[in-house]
Amino acid sequence: MSIKYHPKHELLSAFVAGELPASLSIAVSAHNELCDECRKKCEALAESQAIEFMKEDSFNEFELDDFESINDEFDEMFAAITTEPSRPEPLAKPCVNIDYKGQSLKLPRALTSVTMSNWQKLGKLRRAKLELAEGKVHSNLLEIEAGGTVPTHTHKGYELTLLLAGSFSDEHDTYHAGDFIWLNQHNTHTPVTAEGCLCFTVADDAQTFTQGISKLLNPIGRFIY
Amino acid sequence: MTPEQSQQLKQWLSDIALKRDKKAFANIFKSFAPKIKGFGMKQLKSESAANDLLQDTMSIVWRKSHLYDADKGAATTWIYTIMRNLSFDMLRKAQTQKEDSLSDDIWPIAEVVDDSGEVFSDHLMSQQIAQYLDSLPEAQKQVVQGVYFQEMTQEQLATQLEIPLGTVKSRLRLALNKLKQQIEENS
Repeated sequence: MSIKYHPKHELLSAFVAGELPASLSIAVSAHNELCDECRKKCEALAESQAIEFMKEDSFNEFELDDFESINDEFDEMFAAITTEPSRPEPLAKPCVNIDYKGQSLKLPRALTSVTMSNWQKLGKLRRAKLELAEGKVHSNLLEIEAGGTVPTHTHKGYELTLLLAGSFSDEHDTYHAGDFIWLNQHNTHTPVTAEGCLCFTVADDAQTFTQGISKLLNPIGRFIY
Repeated sequence: MTPEQSQQLKQWLSDIALKRDKKAFANIFKSFAPKIKGFGMKQLKSESAANDLLQDTMSIVWRKSHLYDADKGAATTWIYTIMRNLSFDMLRKAQTQKEDSLSDDIWPIAEVVDDSGEVFSDHLMSQQIAQYLDSLPEAQKQVVQGVYFQEMTQEQLATQLEIPLGTVKSRLRLALNKLKQQIEENS
């Protein structure tokens, strides 16, 4: 199944420049792990950003009479680096696996070092919070069991859903693994999943439940985002 | 940057990787230091943080130049991404007090990913191994590090250390025997 929903160009560019918060950087990185197209775009962006970086007139931040002391500083640093004894480089950590539908599922590499809360369950929903400490930006792994749904809601800020496994549908479309779904306060949706799914979600504010009884279900909003 | 300059840069990186060539490193240092420092001042808003960024970036270039793959992109891009990663982690640390260093997982930089995970996945285990390694004579340690931690071939290592391939092989054999002995004794 090919991926239909991708991060916008501006988001990819900010990602490559390291300007996004960790939560969104993880989301783009995890999307790229599944999407050759965006990964290649990011490689090209890094290439052009590096060229721009080399063009920068880097000394405009310094006073000219600092020049000498800066050179001394550089000499010292050079000596420190080249005389440092060699030490073993830490190995890249293996990816984290989680239990999904009774099987072991490998999480995106970007999540390898992130601290996660324990899984909490509410009906057909199960979620683990990512402890990224980014204020009002909240990130979660969210699993919805087969036949599960999230009540109709809209968002005060944005809500990003990256589908990692399974599929879900809402009023607009059906989504599959790798789809990167960005919604803002103008979008209302009611996701349902027939086969169950696992998502990585990032939201910058609690969403508002908009329909009848689900207004009462606002605790679910706090639960999943 | 002209094609000649970018070719030159690749050559310097390769000289560092294979010959630990300080002159090549000095050339790279000179062309990048002011740029990195400027970038650091802008992003991290402090001169001492900018200096840390510069030192850490250049230290990685010095230690890991063998991981640069000329087929995968320009040398400037490689150095830029190393700097971007470090700067991301530093900024995150300043803003959230978190020291989780996520950047290398978010943007894997031509790193060899250890996907088997079994042997070294245990943090205590790798610490233990590091201790055993430290007990080896420097020459043997170098060889083990090169082959098992930096994933160089024995041929690459021989060129880098300027010793015959046979010497690499025998040092490696000695070192592994010793490590095996230590692990057996301690388990």
